[in-house]
Amino acid sequence: MAGLLLSQSEKLFIVHGVQDDYRSDGRSNLDYRPMELETDLVDTATGSARLRLANTDLLVAVKTEIDVPSPDKPDLGKIEFNVDCSANATPQFEGRGGDQLAVGIANLMQAAYQSSQAFNLKQLCIFEGKQCWKLFVDILILECGGNLCDAVSLAVKAALFNTRIPCVKAILMDGGDVDLQLSDDPFDNKLLDVGTAPLLVTLCKIGDKCVVDPSAEEESCSVVSLIVGITGTPSCYSDQENLAEVGGKFSTIDMNGPGSVAPKTLKDAINQGIVAAKLLDKALAKALINERKENIRTKKSSYGFLK
Amino acid sequence: MPLDYRRFNGPEDSVSYKRFTKGYLKSYDELYKESLDDKGVRKDGRALSEARSLFARTDMVSQAKGSSYVELRKTKVVCSVFDPREIPHQNEFSQLGQIFCEVKFAPFSCPRRRRPHVPDAEEKALSVALRKALEPTVCRHMFPNYQVDVFIYILENDGSCLSAAINAAGLALADAAVPMYDVITSCTVAIVGEKMFVDPTEAEENLATISPSTPINHGIITLSMLSELKQISDFTQVGSMDVECVVKAMDILDKECARLVPLMQKVLVANVLKCFETRKRLEEEANEKEQLLNAKMDEWKKLLKFT
Repeated sequence: MAGLLLSQSEKLFIVHGVQDDYRSDGRSNLDYRPMELETDLVDTATGSARLRLANTDLLVAVKTEIDVPSPDKPDLGKIEFNVDCSANATPQFEGRGGDQLAVGIANLMQAAYQSSQAFNLKQLCIFEGKQCWKLFVDILILECGGNLCDAVSLAVKAALFNTRIPCVKAILMDGGDVDLQLSDDPFDNKLLDVGTAPLLVTLCKIGDKCVVDPSAEEESCSVVSLIVGITGTPSCYSDQENLAEVGGKFSTIDMNGPGSVAPKTLKDAINQGIVAAKLLDKALAKALINERKENIRTKKSSYGFLK
Repeated sequence: MPLDYRRFNGPEDSVSYKRFTKGYLKSYDELYKESLDDKGVRKDGRALSEARSLFARTDMVSQAKGSSYVELRKTKVVCSVFDPREIPHQNEFSQLGQIFCEVKFAPFSCPRRRRPHVPDAEEKALSVALRKALEPTVCRHMFPNYQVDVFIYILENDGSCLSAAINAAGLALADAAVPMYDVITSCTVAIVGEKMFVDPTEAEENLATISPSTPINHGIITLSMLSELKQISDFTQVGSMDVECVVKAMDILDKECARLVPLMQKVLVANVLKCFETRKRLEEEANEKEQLLNAKMDEWKKLLKFT
């Protein structure tokens, strides 16, 4: 973060702490700060989620639209990410200030969701080669307190988990046109299978070690961070027990910041990333399933949109 | 997406006729068999771990401060680097110099589609990746508040264009006498299952991006290294793969990058020698001219004395 000035000895204190796996706020190198997650907030969207991680605040909404699949991938749907850096977050985002960051995050998410092992786009197909669903994932950054990528990926997964797509029957008519039949029942819709959706973990290199979820002070001690996208474990998200143990694969790896790393540090970091992502995914699954059960049992009493 | 209205774009939903030719309708297995025969030889006769032969030269664009040209068989890249100039539109003084990178595909460079003349998402992502790779390489504290422009033009793309661009940029920066820490080299690997295609062609890259029906590893990794310093300056991965695969690919790429270093040094030494020769020749020519002028002067002086 800009405007944060640390003296040399303060920095040394943080670096030594990280070396001993004990950070200034009492966490270990693998721990996240506590976060708050809510789903199903925006009535006008098909799925939505809000996440607050320390000072970072995000709102993600998923909109669906019917589209024509691209000719090279006739049986796949589409997904598109849009990041909007509101000037509310920091004054630096004013005008076109946040563009570079927004495009960077959107590209990273797109890369992470590209493989069918990360997110199966076949479930968005309506009629092969003719019609498919297109998901627009709009990410709104309301407050920016560092560690954006991790927060974005968590909120996106939660919003997709919350997304309900109406059941549509497609019938091929004469002349190659497709006729869509929508059910009258507004509750006749299907949930998306998001078990394998990737989570991004930012590993900030401090000294020779890496930490997840760095605070602003820790960020200023580091010149390079590594972002790994790791596919989720589907068995956490469903009650079926015969699911194969998949997930925990890299769907994207990227480096951020002006520094460079030694190969050994990189290897250690990606291993650390997998451990962190698995823990995070389990916690997210638990929270989301809890939230869904609560929503079914009692209609949520609404109080203040952003609390 | 903005359209180029100066040309006839065709109907909005038009698809290239090539899409319906035999070459494009091949299934995944057919493509796989095509790219690798039973003996483990690739379509262009290389072994799996064999990179394409590299042609590189500096001093390509006479108007630029430094320039280079890199050719990996059918991948052809031109790079030019211009003198440092003050960072435009910036209020704050920046302690470190900046590198501005722009990667541009020629409209005719890609076999699958025509490139638009406005920068698209892939070009922007490549530009960012290039900047990230170059930032740790250049001694940026030597030119505070100034930026160096690096322009890459991809004439033909037959795979591994990012690593070709990074190699070219490294050469061009050295040619422009921009201070750097080390020679930067880069290499790409495409992964399909257990097979690792080093320095992939466009067809192999395409094969690695398609999600296979079975949960096998697939994807593309690009790594750029400062080999003497044993530092990784950029690492990008897309697709889906497990830890062992990433680590194995890293070792392969590490070796491949180290193999390129002496080649780059050879090109740079040749460049320096050529510079010396040109300077020598110019000095000799200047001397000759001066002698001629002196002789003329003596003649005139004699004439003046007589009159």
